[in-house]
Amino acid sequence: MNVPVLSGGWPLLGHLQALRKRPIELFWRVRDECGEVGELNFAGNRVVLLTGVEAQEAFFRGSDEQLDQAAAYPFMTPVFGRGVVFDATPEQRKQALRNQSLRESAMRGHAEVVAEETERMMAKLGERGEIDLLDFFSELTIYTSSACLIGKRFREELSPEYYRVFYELEKGTDALAYVNPDLPLPVFRARDRARRRMVELLTGVFERRAHAREDVADGERRELFDVLLSIRNPDGTPRYTVDVVTGMFISMMFAGHHTTSGTAAWTLIELLRHPEFAKRVVEELDTLYADGRAVSHQALRAIPELEHAIKEALRLHPPLILLMRKVVHDFQYKEWTIPAGKLVAVSPAVSNRMPECFPDPDRYDPERYTTGRAEDQQLFAWIPFGGGRHRCVGAPFAMMQLKAIFSTLLRTYTFELSQPPTSYHDDHSKMVVQLAQPCRVRYRRRDAFSETP
Amino acid sequence: MRIRVDSDLCQGHGACVQEAPTVFALDPGTNQVVLLEEHPDESLRAAIEAAVRYCPTGALTLAEDGGGSHGPVSA
Repeated sequence: MNVPVLSGGWPLLGHLQALRKRPIELFWRVRDECGEVGELNFAGNRVVLLTGVEAQEAFFRGSDEQLDQAAAYPFMTPVFGRGVVFDATPEQRKQALRNQSLRESAMRGHAEVVAEETERMMAKLGERGEIDLLDFFSELTIYTSSACLIGKRFREELSPEYYRVFYELEKGTDALAYVNPDLPLPVFRARDRARRRMVELLTGVFERRAHAREDVADGERRELFDVLLSIRNPDGTPRYTVDVVTGMFISMMFAGHHTTSGTAAWTLIELLRHPEFAKRVVEELDTLYADGRAVSHQALRAIPELEHAIKEALRLHPPLILLMRKVVHDFQYKEWTIPAGKLVAVSPAVSNRMPECFPDPDRYDPERYTTGRAEDQQLFAWIPFGGGRHRCVGAPFAMMQLKAIFSTLLRTYTFELSQPPTSYHDDHSKMVVQLAQPCRVRYRRRDAFSETP
Repeated sequence: MRIRVDSDLCQGHGACVQEAPTVFALDPGTNQVVLLEEHPDESLRAAIEAAVRYCPTGALTLAEDGGGSHGPVSA
């Protein structure tokens, strides 16, 4: 049976303008109008949206031979650079887990780094003041991600300019890329300018690293980029250009950056909107750490109130709102056939608020995750990290990181919203969702002597 | 007690290996979990339940030999 097509498409562009303005509304309209299987048109790219637990499970269990992730995100190619794959094959991802830094056994060291980096950001805050949450958490997560995923010496090369350039790259993911990622538009020119600037910045870093490499070889462990840059072709020329290594850097950092940064911001905003839960989290942290234990120890263990708050922020504000695959061989779901060449998608923004899985879905309720309810154990419904074989491999790292950040931050400062509570919202005009600015909060150092939290 | 692995879900994080190293290992070829014991001893129950609970992808379930089963345990 053919898949029903959503009404209201424009000539040529289809539903692209709706995607660029109100994407979540668009996805809900598919579910309301077409049911669990419905087709969208992004400038000629046919995207079949699957909603509901059963259809989403079929999506997440689809094999890589059938559903290809790499081909589904054309707007990422110019960000990473030509010739740098968007997404490694499952084999390469497994390799990444095996060799590198996302293994459970590496987490203890990462937790220590995240706590240190949070301390360093806090050292700039002083007694009281105001921060923009996007700026603050974007900067912090550039440092934590680079220190943990690439190396501590590399991180020391980074300045605040990196997070601003990174932000420009993230803003360059306009869905107009479905028409053509190189349209002569300001948004794409800014993206390409940012990428060139990133290459310049990293060229400087690599030159300094090249000079330092002999010292490094002498004892200290070499970091990823030292290794990459030392690899030579048989004729003695460098195997990887700075442009390609920049692409690797961007792609390694990308998945964990805006996602963690946005989740940190939303965790805090929702706690400040719901002071009764903020109080519970702060009391929990004060109690846990009263014996002076290290954040690096506790961030890997249970911090239930905080974890529930993070999970609820993830449910209501998933950093990715559309997960896509390209159909390689005809994909059959129930009576529908989705032919090769089309895209299939699921939407975490829809799934996480399906009333049949999440009672009173729009209500902020961290108690959903308490023993007995455990709504996050619906593996194909609670999907802020996706699901199945392509589930975010960085999920445990992200949770640890958020727990370490808030363990540090909330024991030192109290926060309050400096804007009306409902004014904080996501900007959905780009495929990479970001908090809309301004998103400011005030902070004040907690006084250990006079304050009862 | 019997352990079930959903190989569509296992990503080789190795949390189970940390919790119960005598029961779980990672296959160096596929980087997926392999069971060293199909029917582990009752004395390992706490460690195995922790492995089920802390598996980041929910790939493990625990079934009783009698037939009943329970899925991933909530934190």
